[in-house]
Amino acid sequence: MKQLALATAVGILATGVALAADNSAASNTIAITGGKLLTVSHGTIENGVLVIADGKIAAVGTANSVKIPKGAQVVDAKGMTVYPGLIDPESNFGLTEISADLATNDLEERSDEIMPHMHVADAFHAETELIPVARLNGITNAVVAPASADSIAGQDIFIQLYGSRAQMMMGTDVALAMNFGAEQRRRSGGGGAGARSTYPSTRMGLITELRQTFLDTQDYMAKRDAAAKKPDAPFKRDLKYEALIPYLKGERPVVIGVYQAYDVETIMKVAQEFHLKVILNHVTHSQEILDEVAAYKVPVIIGSIYDAPRADERYDAVYTLPAELARRGVKIAISSQEAGGPVSSHSARNLPYAAGFAAAYGLPYDDALKAITLNVAEMFGFGDRLGSLDVGKMANVVVANGDPLDVRTDVKQVYIQGVAVPMVSRQTQLRDEYSK
Amino acid sequence: MQRKPVAERGFPGPLSLVLPLAVAAFATLASAQQQPPTDIVFRGATVMTASHGTIEHGAVWIHAGKIAGVGASVSAPGTAAVVDATGMWLTPGIIDPHSHSALDSDINEATSPVTPSMHMIDAFDNRSADLYRALAGGVTTELLLHGSANMIGGQAVVIKNKFGLDRDAMIFPNAPGSIKFAAGENPKRVYGSRDQLPSTRMGNFEVMRMAFEDARHYMAEWDAYDAKVKKGDKDAVAPKRDLKLEALADVLRGKLYVQIHCYRADEFLTEEAIAKEYGYKIRAFHHALEMYKVAPQIAADGTAIATFSDWWGFKDEARDAIPWNAVMSMRKGVRVALKSDSDDHIRRLNAEAGKMIHYGGATEDEAIRMITLNPAWIIGVDDRTGSIDVGKDADLVLWNHDPLSTYARAMKVYIDGDLFFDASLPGWGTTHFTGVMHDEGGFGSDDDEEDGQ
Repeated sequence: MKQLALATAVGILATGVALAADNSAASNTIAITGGKLLTVSHGTIENGVLVIADGKIAAVGTANSVKIPKGAQVVDAKGMTVYPGLIDPESNFGLTEISADLATNDLEERSDEIMPHMHVADAFHAETELIPVARLNGITNAVVAPASADSIAGQDIFIQLYGSRAQMMMGTDVALAMNFGAEQRRRSGGGGAGARSTYPSTRMGLITELRQTFLDTQDYMAKRDAAAKKPDAPFKRDLKYEALIPYLKGERPVVIGVYQAYDVETIMKVAQEFHLKVILNHVTHSQEILDEVAAYKVPVIIGSIYDAPRADERYDAVYTLPAELARRGVKIAISSQEAGGPVSSHSARNLPYAAGFAAAYGLPYDDALKAITLNVAEMFGFGDRLGSLDVGKMANVVVANGDPLDVRTDVKQVYIQGVAVPMVSRQTQLRDEYSK
Repeated sequence: MQRKPVAERGFPGPLSLVLPLAVAAFATLASAQQQPPTDIVFRGATVMTASHGTIEHGAVWIHAGKIAGVGASVSAPGTAAVVDATGMWLTPGIIDPHSHSALDSDINEATSPVTPSMHMIDAFDNRSADLYRALAGGVTTELLLHGSANMIGGQAVVIKNKFGLDRDAMIFPNAPGSIKFAAGENPKRVYGSRDQLPSTRMGNFEVMRMAFEDARHYMAEWDAYDAKVKKGDKDAVAPKRDLKLEALADVLRGKLYVQIHCYRADEFLTEEAIAKEYGYKIRAFHHALEMYKVAPQIAADGTAIATFSDWWGFKDEARDAIPWNAVMSMRKGVRVALKSDSDDHIRRLNAEAGKMIHYGGATEDEAIRMITLNPAWIIGVDDRTGSIDVGKDADLVLWNHDPLSTYARAMKVYIDGDLFFDASLPGWGTTHFTGVMHDEGGFGSDDDEEDGQ
């Protein structure tokens, strides 16, 4: 934590005019007072006090109920809104820098469909300029996933958007990134003369290949268990199958990116057959089977909420998807994905607006905020540490001058593990340089 | 105008399952709307005029398709249809000065870096679902531009988003002509990848100069011919008419507004220098993500910008993009509009404008102008639309929430005083459209994702 502690001083200096920080006590204890606390887990507290100690939330409550510890650095947040750091359930931070410059992209290994042994952790570029840009709008954590070219694209990491690389990677191989639908068919060149046409080139092929892969993994697991009993006989490890084992055991979630209703039904049959712990992703064009989706009793990530409806649909057919799923009792998360599928996380800073947009189209406000905080944390196994303003959780806290989901709101200060993060990015530096 | 009874209107798919009762109610309502009322009055709205501030609990009177009154109260006749807009917001129709909607994949004639005789009207598909979705986001006027593969692209078409009317009825009457230019990476990539000129920024700009030299020569030949005819020379032979050179000559004659796709600060300066050398004006730089670096110089030239709110990093020349660009440039005297360049963002330009309050502290008035009056100026129709002022076209959007927030939905959209979209209707919410919409697919930025690919 040394690096974070050092940065504290810088962060306080960069906090700006809105938050008059009391620097007299150089301690790890911070009291944010007078703000409106959106706790996510237990409602809104007007004129609240949030105490941070040693990187964790030490107290949350009304001004009357919370005693400000002696020596705490007091941050006046009167007129401000205080809420937990936002969590993006699907990003590609650290896998891309300039979208059009292929040399700066490590988004997907396109050589084969079945690539569970690709670890995002191996490629994660912690110094990416995309992270400070997103952080300034209150994004403190994210799932980083490979792009969607493959049926099994690799394994995600769960990050926080500040600290050393090791601190940032809070979890490696936290989920398996899977995809099913038209995009994954190996049909480069459109199937015309001279086009590369490699198995699997149809949905039938994709599903058969997946089933065979899971069966082969089960077979491998049996052989491996048998080999373990005979320590003299050499056993060659297969990294591809090794990678799949925790997912076939249901120990970690599988995130399945899928758009069309009939594709959802197809892939869920496979997932159920192999008892995968599923998180559905996108389900953009599944409006006609939402009851069925709810009956799966799996969480769903919606992104992009801005994806186009089908030609015969009303303009708001996708905008209303989060509301429709939540209404059916589905635990939802909303991602920062731009329309048209996973392209880049340059626009991840717009995550809160996607949630706000869902609220505009019928999602209750509290559910919208939860869909980019607590629900995401819970889906990926961090619900005990992140996602709400609760005592004992990591102090990932945002102070803003208004409603976090509104485009007009300006984030004034972001705390990650109790550290006031410098509110600086390459973009603010350019702004300041040319404002002289 | 094509209008049919609702029974003949198709709502395919799940929407046709709407309760028969609701359809019947819609039929009654629709038949009542066969002709727009001559007089319509909105009462009780928060009226954001774009030109003269916001009027709380204001009233707006439409007469025969034009705005006839705006203020705390209006003197509309008692026969006027009254829209109770209490608790709602009324703005001018949103204007997108950079769209490639409804052009199928005919955005770039990327076979030569100079194609000024291309006319986007020839590719305009008035049944495109993109138009419908933009309408549902409050967009009433669009400048449909050629892509950015070419240094000198084609000529734009200005449409009013009267979705459901026939093609000619959607053309903005007597709007000035615009032509699309481009600079930077896109022409470099498209022609460079074929080992053709231009593959560098040197090549880019020299291609332009060479084209204008051709145009000057062409004009001189015509001038010489005209002079001979004037002198009574009966043997004078007219030069051959050439559509490409004619279009370039129209640029030099100042007959076309020049709209330039351009990202980098150095390129703005070079473009202005070339414009001065050949004697034309640049109406607007589009994208213009580095305008904050050179805003005072460009402000002095009177060139506007049509920019993204916060896109960055999608290509190298967008690396220095900052979301404060619009407001910083505006404060330095540049006229600033926001634009979509995207069939996605075009549906929520109001929220993009709202971001300008966050990034740089634009006032509400300034933010609204960036998506109404300022883009109207870029297109050259600001005397007709873009603000709520008496005498202007009644292009209006009624919102259920502050349009500069995340939460606003366009509830009713009027163009020339006629209701074209009503969110409260079942089905699509369209009032004039019949038949089948065309869906062109693809959903990113047309200009930057698809050019020359």
